[in-house]
Amino acid sequence: MENPLFRLIRFGWGLISLPDQVKRLIFIFVLLLIGWFAIRSRLVPETFGEKGHYRRAALEANAALPVAYVGQSDCVLCHEDVGDLKRKSYHRSVTCEVCHGPGAAHLEDPETNLLFQPKERGLCTLCHGYNSSKPTGFPQIDPMLHNPNDPCMMCHNPHDPKPPHTPAECGACHGEIARTKSVSHHASLACTLCHETQEIHKENPRLAIPGKPQSRAFCGTCHGETADSPKHIPRVELDSHGNGDLCWQCHYPHYPEVF
Amino acid sequence: MEHLFEQLQQNFSQIVGYIYPNEIELHWGILIVVYPYITGLVAGAFILASLERVFDVKEVLPTYRLALLTALAFLIVAPLPLLAHLGHPERSFEIMITPHLESAMAMFGFVYLWYLLVVLILEIWFEYRGDMVLWSRSGKGLKKYFYYLLTLGSLDTSEKALWFDQKAVKFITIIGIPSAFILHGYVGFLFGSIKANPWWSSVLMPIVFLFSAIVSGISLMILVYGITALFRSKQIDMVCIDKLASFLFYTLIIDVSLEVLDFIHRVYESVESIHIMEQMISQKLFISLVVVQLLIGTLLPLTFLAFTKLLRFPDELKRLIYFVTAILVQIGIFSTRWNVVIGGQLFSKSLRGLTHYKMELLGIEGLLISIGLLIMPLVILAILIKILPPWQDRTAAVS
Ligand code: HEC
Ligand code: HEC
Ligand code: HEC
Ligand code: HEC
Ligand code: HEC
Ligand code: HEC
Ligand code: HEC
Ligand code: HEC
Repeated sequence: MENPLFRLIRFGWGLISLPDQVKRLIFIFVLLLIGWFAIRSRLVPETFGEKGHYRRAALEANAALPVAYVGQSDCVLCHEDVGDLKRKSYHRSVTCEVCHGPGAAHLEDPETNLLFQPKERGLCTLCHGYNSSKPTGFPQIDPMLHNPNDPCMMCHNPHDPKPPHTPAECGACHGEIARTKSVSHHASLACTLCHETQEIHKENPRLAIPGKPQSRAFCGTCHGETADSPKHIPRVELDSHGNGDLCWQCHYPHYPEVF
Repeated sequence: MEHLFEQLQQNFSQIVGYIYPNEIELHWGILIVVYPYITGLVAGAFILASLERVFDVKEVLPTYRLALLTALAFLIVAPLPLLAHLGHPERSFEIMITPHLESAMAMFGFVYLWYLLVVLILEIWFEYRGDMVLWSRSGKGLKKYFYYLLTLGSLDTSEKALWFDQKAVKFITIIGIPSAFILHGYVGFLFGSIKANPWWSSVLMPIVFLFSAIVSGISLMILVYGITALFRSKQIDMVCIDKLASFLFYTLIIDVSLEVLDFIHRVYESVESIHIMEQMISQKLFISLVVVQLLIGTLLPLTFLAFTKLLRFPDELKRLIYFVTAILVQIGIFSTRWNVVIGGQLFSKSLRGLTHYKMELLGIEGLLISIGLLIMPLVILAILIKILPPWQDRTAAVS
């Protein structure tokens, strides 16, 4: 005798008028779906969805990760001298751990967890190596030309960097412009001819920004038709040449060209 | 700390121009290259299979079942690179049980599941059901029960039932074609919709992805079909492989035209990013884009295929040419994925500099894992072929 329950199922199965294959597949899919809900009811992480589509406890877990960096204000509590020196220097905006690495362990036990002291030229050139896309005026050097082989610290204190003596040439800081000009038709013209510069600019550039030519008439003092300048200098009709636009909109003053 | 400085210095020496600090490390590495590559193979193999069923291209019948199994083998592996990339593979199952309904990234889960469960597995099941019943009847011991389980107990082999199976296969294939388009079009969409990235952001992206997927799928089937024939010491069906090669030729032409269109479009538009793209192509991507993708992976195969069409070669030579072409196409498509994924991260969002990708060797996002993930589908395919022999040599072919 067949179990009446099976008979009932068999009977019900027969009532649904779908091909046998499809019925079995639907059955499997329903099982899968039930299985998925069953798994889901067990395995969804506990705090999931409390604040959004994520596990809220992840916030605490991340907050509990060990802290590696502490910030400059903690360092200067003990290293007051370095702090005082650096605060007034060019490096005031560069914090301690940028150069010395994460300091949390050092804070716990300064004597045993000594911090790294970067002595190689490579550290400084990460920021100061020449790159034409850095903003104008950011102090840059060409590591191959700027006192090669000597460690930077020989001449610059990392906590108070400044040129050891006032540079004689504008090119010490404006190297790119100086090099460009030196091979141009304007090579013979001194920078100060066009830029009125106070001496202090070479010690602390931002205290006094040099002036720049303002008008067409300035270039006209040499290039105007009637200018009182050496004969070999090419002349233009000052009133009409170049539609009256500023000369340096078409001619780069540090490397003037004729198109 | 010191080694970090050294690493930073080394990276710096590879950087050109100005980049933002967070761009020095690429976040999507080789695993994310492998992912679209594999999904592309799935979609391509499936579309090839559908040629036989829906468009009634009888010549490619010998590859029909093989293509289905290949698609399945690669589909099983497709999400693994993503899960490995999540960083916590042991937790990755959580994304399956807490699906996100709005995230474009999470959409892959749904597309994948649909494709796996509703398209591929169902189609394979209907296609093989009749055979499985036979194997269950003739098998002994465990084998008998194994196939019985696979049939889900649906043992009816009457004409009507088998007829229904074939109808179901056809119906699923018809649903399957748009699904395959969605599967890989989706991957292209993910990249194409990132509007902040000028290398990716393009409406053509999903379509370009799709056609390169079809190209890669067909060339993969040439390889798989050739190699399995070799192992079974069977003669390769020249009619079939000629047809495959023709399809490869035509789709490759469409694929190239689309890419060229995309290229012309970009050059003509010349938005501000064009200069950095130009630099990137001539410096960082020269080998992988110009040499590998364009010359080795596209123009060379096109030339080879054109020759087989124009000239009369002996069959042996033709097979060899097809084979080499298929391998070149695979290399080309892999570098296509590489150029999209890695290329899109090599230039700075400042559009003023280029960064550098340094591949790991070990580690969960490294080269070794990626090679493993590329071999895995082949192993799975070998097992699938053992379980569900796909051979339908032409003489024995049924309707
Ligand atoms: C609790 C006080 C304290 C704090 C806070 C502290 N340090 Fe120190 N640090 C010391 C002492 C003490 C020494 C000297 C250790 C020695 O020479 O044995 C030292 C030494 C150093 C050295 C020299 C290491 C060497 O190899 O000689 C550096 C660099 C340094 N600290 C940097 C830092 C930085 C950066 C911070 C902030 C993250 C910091 N310190 C915070 C107490 C402190
Ligand atoms: C631009 C990088 C840089 C920054 C920023 C920097 N340091 Fe240094 N620091 C160095 C270098 C390089 C040395 C090694 C100097 C040497 O060998 O002559 C050093 C040495 C030290 C020393 C040990 C020698 C000494 O001069 O006493 C201490 C202590 C120290 N730094 C603390 C600090 C603290 C505190 C800060 C933040 C207020 C800081 N440093 C910021 C680069 C830096
Ligand atoms: C994290 C980036 C960074 C690092 C590393 C760094 N600097 Fe600087 N440096 C700066 C900044 C920012 C300024 C200030 C620029 C300004 O005033 O516009 C500066 C200014 C200077 C100046 C002043 C230049 C002038 O205008 O006269 C010198 C010299 C200098 N740094 C030397 C060094 C040396 C030596 C090192 C290595 C120990 C170093 N820097 C490491 C960022 C850095
Ligand atoms: C110690 C390095 C240094 C030396 C030496 C130096 N400069 Fe400068 N100069 C700077 C810096 C830094 C700035 C950028 C200031 C700013 O933008 O805030 C600057 C700015 C200028 C500017 C203005 C740029 C602008 O965009 O407005 C001119 C012009 C100039 N310098 C000319 C000169 C001339 C001419 C000399 C030689 C007589 C000279 N400088 C010597 C560092 C230097
Ligand atoms: C032999 C001493 C010496 C050494 C070593 C040295 N410098 Fe200088 N540095 C100078 C002098 C002097 C100047 C002033 C400009 C000039 O005359 O060249 C200067 C200027 C600078 C400036 C300012 C340039 C500007 O445009 O404002 C920077 C930045 C600088 N040095 C960084 C470095 C770095 C980084 C190193 C190590 C790689 C280094 N220096 C090594 C002597 C030195
Ligand atoms: C023939 C005149 C002339 C001479 C000589 C000259 N300049 Fe200039 N310079 C100009 C003019 C004009 C501008 C303004 C350009 C502008 O506003 O676009 C300028 C701009 C600058 C600037 C700011 C813009 C920039 O390109 O960074 C700096 C810095 C500067 N000059 C430095 C120098 C230095 C250093 C020298 C010497 C090596 C020099 N100049 C020589 C005419 C001159
Ligand atoms: C102090 C005089 C003087 C001033 C001021 C001057 N120049 Fe010149 N300029 C010269 C000399 C000298 C030559 C080189 C003539 C020669 O090649 O024999 C020259 C050449 C030129 C040339 C021609 C280059 C070529 O290829 O033949 C141009 C363009 C030019 N300058 C533009 C300018 C502009 C723009 C300014 C204003 C920012 C300016 N100059 C200011 C003296 C000057
Ligand atoms: C609209 C662009 C434009 C402007 C603005 C402009 N120039 Fe020119 N300049 C040119 C061109 C183009 C040439 C070459 C063709 C010619 O001789 O007219 C030239 C030529 C020159 C020459 C060489 C003439 C010769 O005979 O070799 C000089 C010198 C010169 N310009 C100076 C200036 C001076 C000074 C100013 C400002 C008063 C200026 N330019 C403004 C476009 C310009």
